[in-house]
Amino acid sequence: MDERTFARLAEEYAGRLYAVAYRMLGHRADAEDAVQRALTKCFAARDSYSPRWAVSTWLYRALSNVCIDELRRRRPMAPLTDSQQTAPPRGSDRVELTRALEAVPREARLLLALHYVDGLSYRELAAVRGISVNTVKSQLARGKAIMKRALDGE
Amino acid sequence: MDTLDTRLKDFFTPAAPARLARRVLRRVEPGPDLSGLIARFAIEASDRGVRRLAYGRGRDVATRAGRRHVERAREELHEYLGGRRTFFTVPVDLEVPPFQAKVLAAADRVPFGAVASYAELAQRIGHPRAARAVGNALGANPVPIFLPCHRIVRGDGTWGHYAFGGALKTRLLALERATPALVGSATTRIVCRHGCPHEQRIAEANRIVFASVADAAGVGYRPCRRCRPVA
Repeated sequence: MDERTFARLAEEYAGRLYAVAYRMLGHRADAEDAVQRALTKCFAARDSYSPRWAVSTWLYRALSNVCIDELRRRRPMAPLTDSQQTAPPRGSDRVELTRALEAVPREARLLLALHYVDGLSYRELAAVRGISVNTVKSQLARGKAIMKRALDGE
Repeated sequence: MDTLDTRLKDFFTPAAPARLARRVLRRVEPGPDLSGLIARFAIEASDRGVRRLAYGRGRDVATRAGRRHVERAREELHEYLGGRRTFFTVPVDLEVPPFQAKVLAAADRVPFGAVASYAELAQRIGHPRAARAVGNALGANPVPIFLPCHRIVRGDGTWGHYAFGGALKTRLLALERATPALVGSATTRIVCRHGCPHEQRIAEANRIVFASVADAAGVGYRPCRRCRPVA
């Protein structure tokens, strides 16, 4: 893959990559940094990119790896959202959903983000995380059930 | 589609900052690789393990039986500096007072890529008011990097003193930040510590990073029997 093609792909996917990273990491700067690191990895490995892979799978795999590793480093009590920075009104739908998403375990949260940001199918999600389609289904169902419980409890 | 689905679709709608791709692409550069620094380290080993690590001067010193420890330490250090290893298996031969041994053992438990403050470490070893003594004990660490005193920083987030200099501490922390610790193989569904011989054989296209062994187990991965990840 040449540099121009890669730049065009980065342009095309940057918004969606950022959206996934933002919902995973909760901070704008961290999300931008994660996109940067993921694209850097893909750029370095662009010559070994195999066309039998969907580009989206390749890019989302790199981003997922970066986001998950970033979450590993965080302390359990680290705040997830920058609601102070974005300052949506308290009690708004976004705040409720952000809080509910915080209750979802990391792997399920990542699958929810990938599923809803880009509408990735179960099969694509399975390829991105190297898991079975059945695991994808159960993780998504679990994540949604946790969110629903958290939202109903509010 | 139920109500939650609709809300989630709206919630996850991408809204990236303007010109994000251009800004990000301008900064694309290779990740940190410190493997070129390996020649600047000198290792001292006894029959029991590595006794001392020096930076910038000196040469390797070892007893006859200690030579294998020096070789192994050098190889693992080289992999670590190149971002290909996150842990050390070479034994360490520590001869330090009990308090310092306790501090170094606590520092060794700070996970790869994470940081803790002097005060936190003091608390963890049951001496909450001994942050300064903890700093002194770390400053006298005979085997930096192998026992990761560089992961201990000041409470205000600044680096604090480091035996090998602040610049190297910054570079080590940046290296650890860019290196994943737990890697699974999408084909074997086994998760390893980064640096395990099995992990080093995983093809780039099959590498899946996990935040914990529990997370990996939750989606069908089992821990490697060789490197035994526990984090």
